[in-house]
Amino acid sequence: MEDRDSPAPTNAHLETLRELRARAVQGGGARRIEQQHARGRLTARERLDALLDAGSFQELGALATHSVSDFGLADQRFPGDGVVTGFGKVNGRRVAVFAHDFTVLGGSFSEVQSRKITRIQHLALESGIPLIGLNDSGGARIQEGVRSLAAYGEVFVRNVMASGVIPQISLILGPCAGGAVYSPALTDFVIMAQGASMFLTGPDVVRAITGEAVSAEDLGGTGVHMARSGVAHLEAPTDIAALDLAKRLLGYLPQNNSEDPPPIVPYDPADRSDTALDTLIPDVEQHTYDMHEVIERVFDRGSFLELQSAFAPNALVGFARLDGFSVGIVANQPAHMAGALDLDASDKIARFIRICDAYNIPVVTFVDCPGFLPGVDQEYRGVIRHGAKIIYAYCEATVPKISIVTRKAMGGAYVAMSSKQMRTDLAFAWPTAQIAVMGAEPAVRVLYRSEVKEASDPAAKERELVAYYRDKFFNPYRAADVGQIDEVIEPHETRPRLVRALELLRTKVLQNPPKKHGLIPS
Amino acid sequence: MDNLGWGLQMTALGMGLVFGLLALLWGLLTLMLRFDTPHPERSAVAPSETVPEAPLDPALVAAISVAVLAHNAQRRAEAAPGMRIHWPGSLLHASRWVAAGRARQNHSWQRGRR
Repeated sequence: MEDRDSPAPTNAHLETLRELRARAVQGGGARRIEQQHARGRLTARERLDALLDAGSFQELGALATHSVSDFGLADQRFPGDGVVTGFGKVNGRRVAVFAHDFTVLGGSFSEVQSRKITRIQHLALESGIPLIGLNDSGGARIQEGVRSLAAYGEVFVRNVMASGVIPQISLILGPCAGGAVYSPALTDFVIMAQGASMFLTGPDVVRAITGEAVSAEDLGGTGVHMARSGVAHLEAPTDIAALDLAKRLLGYLPQNNSEDPPPIVPYDPADRSDTALDTLIPDVEQHTYDMHEVIERVFDRGSFLELQSAFAPNALVGFARLDGFSVGIVANQPAHMAGALDLDASDKIARFIRICDAYNIPVVTFVDCPGFLPGVDQEYRGVIRHGAKIIYAYCEATVPKISIVTRKAMGGAYVAMSSKQMRTDLAFAWPTAQIAVMGAEPAVRVLYRSEVKEASDPAAKERELVAYYRDKFFNPYRAADVGQIDEVIEPHETRPRLVRALELLRTKVLQNPPKKHGLIPS
Repeated sequence: MDNLGWGLQMTALGMGLVFGLLALLWGLLTLMLRFDTPHPERSAVAPSETVPEAPLDPALVAAISVAVLAHNAQRRAEAAPGMRIHWPGSLLHASRWVAAGRARQNHSWQRGRR
């Protein structure tokens, strides 16, 4: 109802508002926008347009500006202050978003930016909806001094409070330097576009401190964070491709930790049997195969989204769909380092299991692992504590867990990779599985040292004993005999078996003892 | 006896009015149907006007098909509306068993605490 006491808005009032809004939309101005385009990048608002459903964006804080007058900042006030924040929809799903506007003071992080971002972090957590951050910022706004540093802390604490409650996805679409890197690092997923960079200290500082000459790309480009540091989970050639990846990733995730990921209408028959799987494992033990092929043949066609593909390639992690339902996949990759587990692979697997557990996504594990990678370097760098992370993550996880041993499951790696004793719900093995404490040759050397030494032909004796050991232990039947494997299945049965198993476990509920938080080895 | 006569008159009048109105409606509907029915001469000519003179280019049809399939694949990958079985977080499909279990699992977390 109209309030008769208050004056009706005049055209002048509306004009003022419209002018301010227009200025906010312009960001740093036409020239800066042209420069941004010349760099092959989109502006913050163009990115949000590409990410969100048409007409769904509701902006908050569009007119906020800073109140700093030092270092000439008094003349550089822009509505929005270099970050666009608000709510929108991605494929009809509500999300909270923020996008740094590089055209405004290089997207530098300010106190006002912090207030705007923490506001939507708070609302996203209260509403139980995912938060997507589009990062393109030169770092802290130096002119604001310690206030901009404190502002980071405000964002970090909310990142941590939201961790494991609502999905948080960070896109790095330009520079992300200094303290700014920690907010994406605290989120669940990092997607980097080509040309973007992340580093704590830039090339100039590195050169000044250590004397090392390095480019921004070589210090913190996509190649570095996808293959070496493991900071990034996905990479894309362009801004648009990165935004599309974020949408795809969101499709596998729920809105929050109380809900399930959205299932899609099944498009691949649940009972499809792929007989090519029956001959996939080479007869010769030293020959390898690509675990990607197993995954592609078992899960819904084309649904596998691999994360951290170039980082620790001896382990595979990613999301896929099985009969339309979202599942997390962990697998050893025998085509790389024979699938042995090392420090990075352990970190990669453990982190992924915890993500799946937080967001109610079942974990399917394919095991072909000869063990943890031996060596002085690995031991010195802490393969024990890194390997323990995998065990911790599997034991802690309460989501449905299913394992399939395709070939090797040796020693500690057998236990670590979702063994039945670590609360795995169903353990399957292919007939090609080799479940043993160690490889045949070292086992014979330990068990039959004296017999081999005293034999007239030690080499022949060793060969004979190795063959005996292989025959006796290198199969899944002894493990099935003692109940460590629930069922030995033919490889082509894997898909229908998994579909039925996950159907059974869809309402699984398991509760861990009450605690403040666990202490995962780090 | 007078009452009976009056009653019969009223019955005849009422029925006459009802049937009369029904007949009027029937007449109106018949008239509207006649106007609404396409003219036989026009309908014979109309299809020939919409038939394209040349068939669609097979390459164009293939390109359109590929584009539609690719679009569908992308929407499926993103679990877009129309591809997903139900709305994320839909209570219609929630299992009470799971809902109660999740509530217990998350009991240590309290909203609003910093």
